[in-house]
Amino acid sequence: MKNKEKHIGFTLFVVFAVLPFTLAFGYAILYSFGLIGVVNEGFTLEFWKEVLTSSTLGESFLYSAIISAVGVLLSVSLALWVVLKFKESFNNKYLSFIIYMPLAVPGIVSAFFTYQLFAQAGFFARISYHFNWINSVQQFPDLVNDNLAIGIIITFISLLTPFFILLYLNIYKDEKIEELSQLSKALGANKKQVALKVSLPIMLKKSWVLILLYFIFLLGAYEVPLILGQESPQMLSVLILRELKQFDLTKISEGYVMAVVYTMVIMSATLFIFSRKKLRNNAY
Amino acid sequence: MQKYAFLLLSTIAIFFISCEGSEESKDWKRSSWNEIEEASIGTTVNFMMWQGSPIINDYINNYVKPTLKEKYKINLSISSGQGPEIVQLMMGEKQAGSEEGQVDMVWINGETFFQLRKIEALWGPFTEKLPNAQYIDFSDPFINTDFQQEINGMECPWGISQFALVYDSTKTTLPPKDLGELENFVKTHPGAFTISNDFSGMTLLKCFMAELSGSPDGLDGEFNQQKYDTLSAQLWNYINRNKKYFWKEGKTFPKEHSKMDQMFSSGEIVLSYGFSEGGIEEKVLQGLFPESTKGYAWENGTILNSNYLGITYNSPTKAAAMQVINFMISPEAQLKKADPSGMNVNTVLEISRLPEAYISSFEKIAARKYGPSLEELSKNAIKEPAPEYMLNIYEDFRTYVIEK
Repeated sequence: MKNKEKHIGFTLFVVFAVLPFTLAFGYAILYSFGLIGVVNEGFTLEFWKEVLTSSTLGESFLYSAIISAVGVLLSVSLALWVVLKFKESFNNKYLSFIIYMPLAVPGIVSAFFTYQLFAQAGFFARISYHFNWINSVQQFPDLVNDNLAIGIIITFISLLTPFFILLYLNIYKDEKIEELSQLSKALGANKKQVALKVSLPIMLKKSWVLILLYFIFLLGAYEVPLILGQESPQMLSVLILRELKQFDLTKISEGYVMAVVYTMVIMSATLFIFSRKKLRNNAY
Repeated sequence: MQKYAFLLLSTIAIFFISCEGSEESKDWKRSSWNEIEEASIGTTVNFMMWQGSPIINDYINNYVKPTLKEKYKINLSISSGQGPEIVQLMMGEKQAGSEEGQVDMVWINGETFFQLRKIEALWGPFTEKLPNAQYIDFSDPFINTDFQQEINGMECPWGISQFALVYDSTKTTLPPKDLGELENFVKTHPGAFTISNDFSGMTLLKCFMAELSGSPDGLDGEFNQQKYDTLSAQLWNYINRNKKYFWKEGKTFPKEHSKMDQMFSSGEIVLSYGFSEGGIEEKVLQGLFPESTKGYAWENGTILNSNYLGITYNSPTKAAAMQVINFMISPEAQLKKADPSGMNVNTVLEISRLPEAYISSFEKIAARKYGPSLEELSKNAIKEPAPEYMLNIYEDFRTYVIEK
């Protein structure tokens, strides 16, 4: 009986997850080699050559990786700090509601919200003007559509931190970290040692897979960098979609090349993470 | 395990087999208008159009749709899409060999027309068959030519508008009229001007390039690579020389023109631009732009172009689509379209060809209170250059300005 359930589950997974993905990936590969596509003329390596010799994809990968890494690191750090310092406060209904409410806000809404707050003619700029800290629109610092992707990172943090707070509160309870900390203190450890040698290692070990998965998630973000990013370099999904929708129909295959390269990199990284997970076998 | 693999494969096989073609459609080009009218009764026409303007949506949803239902018993169903989305959809349908298209009518012009012709996704020629086409002056070069391509009856003109520059008269009284004045303007108003990286922004660059060519019709005719290379080099030089005085010191440019409208209304930028003679009237009436907004044309000329309606190659209701288009270019629909409190768009109809009653109605249309009229700007009108100019400018603006 149990065997049958496993087989049905497996079939459903293949039909709804693996199959569409494989078909789409196969389509993208064929398109990237020019084998399909209304204006393409047959097998050719020119699109691959064009993309791999130009620095655009590489720059975008690096740019996206740095932004995602900073986003995840800051969110995780903020979440850890909040949980370790204020864990008791989360028993209060209203405080939990405020922290968790951003979870219900979709990415695109957060992006618009960030824009309205931080643009040069936005909310904070107007407050600064009222307090006479600045005298003109241009004097307000560059926080959205800027090179350092500050607006994007702020939005990522607002999207991720509530989730990580929730996660770490649960890990804290499940792993009985409160009891372990009491024990360490009884054995003579001070607050800093408890945090560095007991709480943090356990929490990070239990969540590293999720942290890496969120890094990959931010890497492929679309609406947030679309609204808050600049024109060059662009984050990966924005770049790939721009190439796919471009004016010159004969170059659309280049977008597919980028999509294939991106997918292969992420698939290899994911396989690598999960092969290591088997060895460690104690993370979530 | 083998049993389940077999089940899986057969499910996939059935799925593919069920995608079949459909029956042959009638050749509407040889039918009479009566036959076309009869065939369209009770059908649904799918119209893909840009839905970015609430006023246009209002005109279509609250006037065109109900009137079509009442008079011709046609259901008009709207879907959102323009330019690249339309082309992508048609490319996908062509590749899938789809015989019954999802969309019957499209609102297009310029490069979209060029791309759709390239992949043979339009049905036609059909404009001659439309009874109301008699009111359109097809000898007008701004109507019969779309980006230097002859329309040859493959798309029907629907609206005509001129690109204009927009400024706030309380922030500046002498807006620049040519590149030299613009150079001074950005130095005295740093951070208050920019170029959007989209269709409207590229149109502004085309106007600049026309000025660099030395005359209003400098870019006319077929695409000339040498001319393009010389003029574009000068254009990129001009921009790179002055971009430190642009918005955000030229380090980035707004992705879309709609963002610029917001920046103009919040005062972040002082000089803007747009089609429909700047699109000023509707935005002031909506409360977005200040009432002190004014529009004007560039000295060497700004682009005047028409936008069109096309029928897709695989539309299952071509007859009904023709009926809808015929209605949309009818004097009554065009009159409603020109209403200043509504869409306020110039008509493509030649007023002198209309019946008496309509001539006086058109002449009675109230003048705009805020934006300039087409007549005022038309003496500075220039034609759209060949689509290859737009193609190259899009790419090179990115390479030579954004990525520098």
